[in-house]
Amino acid sequence: MATITEPTIGAPPPLKPGPPRGGGGDGGGDGGSDQSRSGTTARIAVYIGMVASTMTFTALLSAMFVRRGLATNNDWHRLPVPPLLWWNTAALLLSSVAIDIGRRAFLAGRRREFRVLWLTGTVLGTWFLIGQAINWKFLSDHGFYMQHNPASAFFYVLTWAHAAHVIGALGALYFVACRTLFFPFIPLNRNVMEVSAIFWHFLDVMWLILMAIFVFWT
Amino acid sequence: MLLAAGILILLDRLAGTSFFVPGDLLVAEKHLEHSGGTPLLWQHLFWFFGHPEVYIAILPGMGIVSHIISNFSRRPPFSYRACVWAPIAIAFLGMLVWGHHMFIAGISPYSAMTFSLVTMSIGAPSAVLTLNWLGTAFKAARLELTTAMLFCLGFVSLFVTGGLTGLFLGQPEIDAYFHDTAFVVAHFHMIMGMAALFAVFAATFYWFPLMFGRMLDERLGKFHFYLTFIGAYALFLPMHFAGFAGNPRRYADFTNFDFLKAVMPLQHWITVVAFTLGGVQLIFIANLFLSVWRGVRAPSNPWSGPTLEWNPDAELTEGEPYAYPSVKIDVAN
Repeated sequence: MATITEPTIGAPPPLKPGPPRGGGGDGGGDGGSDQSRSGTTARIAVYIGMVASTMTFTALLSAMFVRRGLATNNDWHRLPVPPLLWWNTAALLLSSVAIDIGRRAFLAGRRREFRVLWLTGTVLGTWFLIGQAINWKFLSDHGFYMQHNPASAFFYVLTWAHAAHVIGALGALYFVACRTLFFPFIPLNRNVMEVSAIFWHFLDVMWLILMAIFVFWT
Repeated sequence: MLLAAGILILLDRLAGTSFFVPGDLLVAEKHLEHSGGTPLLWQHLFWFFGHPEVYIAILPGMGIVSHIISNFSRRPPFSYRACVWAPIAIAFLGMLVWGHHMFIAGISPYSAMTFSLVTMSIGAPSAVLTLNWLGTAFKAARLELTTAMLFCLGFVSLFVTGGLTGLFLGQPEIDAYFHDTAFVVAHFHMIMGMAALFAVFAATFYWFPLMFGRMLDERLGKFHFYLTFIGAYALFLPMHFAGFAGNPRRYADFTNFDFLKAVMPLQHWITVVAFTLGGVQLIFIANLFLSVWRGVRAPSNPWSGPTLEWNPDAELTEGEPYAYPSVKIDVAN
């Protein structure tokens, strides 16, 4: 039999503080294990979001593979490569690099460097989105509408889905940028900055996969 | 997955794309402009979501049952590692078997064979889990047949019965006959409906004292259990026989078919039992509400549970695992 004393139902168990864990601090002076714990929670939340997004993209991509395999009546037409595709991809890659170096600068306490790099990354991300709109215009000007053929339909669906994610992530990047530019006297929570950066890198990788499939396969 | 499929079908309906809609379709004497889509793609996307979703219904039940059977057998789960890994294996394999819903939808026979093999392989971790539960109960230091435990044993019974019929449906040749018959309805209601519900009932009886500080009435609970258990078999066993006779599902009226005349008494029986079984659940609801206000006050650890939720005075240290109280085993293990 279990040897348990008679406790009271509903009382929360007392928690003794454990040994300090690493990773606290935000470079702004409001670190500590509380923020480290909430950082872990925030990271888990963003990872779950990334898994959900990955599943959505996987579903769309697998649908594309199956649909192409079933295109027996030759209705699958290759799309022209939009002129801004490579520039756009370069902008997104550079944006990710700038955001990550900025994140490291923040953790090292180099605030000025962080502001410049984070803003650069955010602007490059915005450029990527504008470039995508220009690419869509290019394709529609050349007669590749959504209804034109399944290849263009999947191109639009996947790039729109990616752009919707980018808009959300840009909101987070702008939030961090505005906080650090206009309210430098309020300490920035490093968790917000870190999860924004993680999600931005995720979108970067997702775009590279999409682009590779569009350019080399469809 | 369902979101992606939903987006595509919405575009097919509103934006004129052809993901799922095939060409040369005449709808309401109107020739549709779509071309080249296939409804099979919709089925793939739907069932890739749909099949793992049924495991979402049953996997928490498996965890609950492992936990409660272990407690009322007064011993740790038989082969704890297998108890943990088997549901993980089921969850993983469950993502690879969606095609068994589409055996007669026109998929390649080679795909059907693959899906069939993977479907059959789910039987292995399921059998391991069932043997764990039975092993735990058979090796019990002292078996306590509380209502929660009875519902767990009921779960095992329904899981085995419902699972065995899954082996029939997992084979393309047999499924060609059983597809869209009452046999399928009986199979998934037995395993996903009744077994999952039994786990919910077991969990409610087990953790109710922790939630409300009162006990659910055990006599009413056992009465509810026996009626529900008998009702589940009385309802779904005949449904299997109706399926054997070729009784299709999703039909509002069977009276126009000569070949189904013989199963009409079964259908009447199924209908009467279904309503009775539904009515029996009022016992549980009454028990729930009566016990919230008038139930016997619960002792702090009514089931002598060794786990953390029953031991709020345990001294915990951040970052350190909870030291479970030792459970004395009275029999040779």
